[in-house]
Amino acid sequence: MAEKILAVDDELDILQLIEMTLISDGFEVVTASNGIEALERARIHKPDLILLDLMMPEMDGFEVIKNLKQTPEMRNVPVIMLTARAQAHERIEGLSAGADDYITKPFELEELKLRIESILAHTRKAKYINPLISALGDWFTEDGMEQFAEHLQTASAIQQHLLPQSDPELEGFDISGLLESSMSVSGDFYDFVPFEDNRLGIVIADVRGKGIPAALLMVMIRTAMRLVCREDISPSSVLKRVNDLLVIDTTPDFFATMVYGILDPNSLTFTYSNAGHCYPMLLKGEKIEELQTGGMILGCFGFAEFETETIELEAGNKILFYTDGLTEAETKAEEEFYGEERLKQVFKKNSDFSADELCRKIREDLFGFCGTNQQKDDITIVAVKASASRN
Amino acid sequence: MFELAMSTNNIPILRIKGKIIGNTAVSLKNEIDSQIKEAGTKLILDLTEVPLLDSSALSAIVATLQKLRQTEGKIVLLNPQKSVMNVLKVTRLHSVLEVYDDEDSAIKAFN
Repeated sequence: MAEKILAVDDELDILQLIEMTLISDGFEVVTASNGIEALERARIHKPDLILLDLMMPEMDGFEVIKNLKQTPEMRNVPVIMLTARAQAHERIEGLSAGADDYITKPFELEELKLRIESILAHTRKAKYINPLISALGDWFTEDGMEQFAEHLQTASAIQQHLLPQSDPELEGFDISGLLESSMSVSGDFYDFVPFEDNRLGIVIADVRGKGIPAALLMVMIRTAMRLVCREDISPSSVLKRVNDLLVIDTTPDFFATMVYGILDPNSLTFTYSNAGHCYPMLLKGEKIEELQTGGMILGCFGFAEFETETIELEAGNKILFYTDGLTEAETKAEEEFYGEERLKQVFKKNSDFSADELCRKIREDLFGFCGTNQQKDDITIVAVKASASRN
Repeated sequence: MFELAMSTNNIPILRIKGKIIGNTAVSLKNEIDSQIKEAGTKLILDLTEVPLLDSSALSAIVATLQKLRQTEGKIVLLNPQKSVMNVLKVTRLHSVLEVYDDEDSAIKAFN
């Protein structure tokens, strides 16, 4: 939406010139030719900035500024004074009354535009920062902010600790994963759960959203998973139980997606259930199959049901798990997505590397595609390679 | 971004243009909430011109769905593109949301 500027001057030719210039620059312009009119228009149109001539009949600019500063909803609207006189005492009087900047007539239109732009840049920033400041409350002091930053770091460390610290060891398999957070804390996670019967549970999950709210829920889900998943409970039953817990404990606009499966080195099988998560890719030779069996996203519907599927693996088969932060990553110009097709190609091309290298190669390709500064969502990749043959 | 229309039998149709991601998804939620507050418990979301929606957008839709279920109201989706339909299929939300290809069928769903 175009920003609105109220221009106030009793010289109509100047007013018109300003109006035309600013409109052609994409601003919405409201004009007034005296102080009383200015206050009235300001109240009705709620401008983002006011250009105010100081010397006007009826009510001069100083009065207008004082009046604006006494009106709560107008107090923060920036004011640039326009004045023909360059005497210092007027500028001082205007600035101390609360004006933000001044420009002396005659002025260059280019200078006027630059000053408007610089003041508006400040207000735009304030628009984002003010909610943060009010959320921080008493913390918004130098000490408080330092403490806040420290808390965020600690939170990040707590979360890091909940991720696998090393690749799991499972006979006949090469397994690795990585997670790139878009912020200091993340809503994605992956987990490897070793069972006593030598099988391995694998979890990949994506909590909707990102940042602190997603991170809180990530910790909750990861804990629920660790408590619920056992070697004798099927993946679909685990997901159902976790779903039941989340439906009770979360707000309606929350959800998470997850794949949970058990890798069995004895039978060379992977038994899994997929709760609304982007489909893991199973590479067999040159062919890619998608692991779709499962059910709905978690945390929304108490009636959700899940199914389990067991797939048989051969030596050389690879499974790639990922979160949609990967496929939905965009180029800088926001015109193209990384997408599943590209991921499939990169997966195939690098599938002879170790699981660890494969994950890195994909990350490398992604950052080459969209640039490291462009990451908007958390990204998780887990790769599983079967090396042993079926007996 | 959002444009509100009324069908012949007074069902509000919210037509959305462009990707619904990040902040746009937050605006969508606010738009839907205010629509429901003002006009009641029926809503058609026209997704014809939406090439992509992210998880925040989905959550806005899911939250509305749950809210309206309690009031015997309904939200239906109109004409999602293939990419959006794909997201609905992966998340399995297509099994709980009513999705229609044309406006007439979407409107008739409220009869």
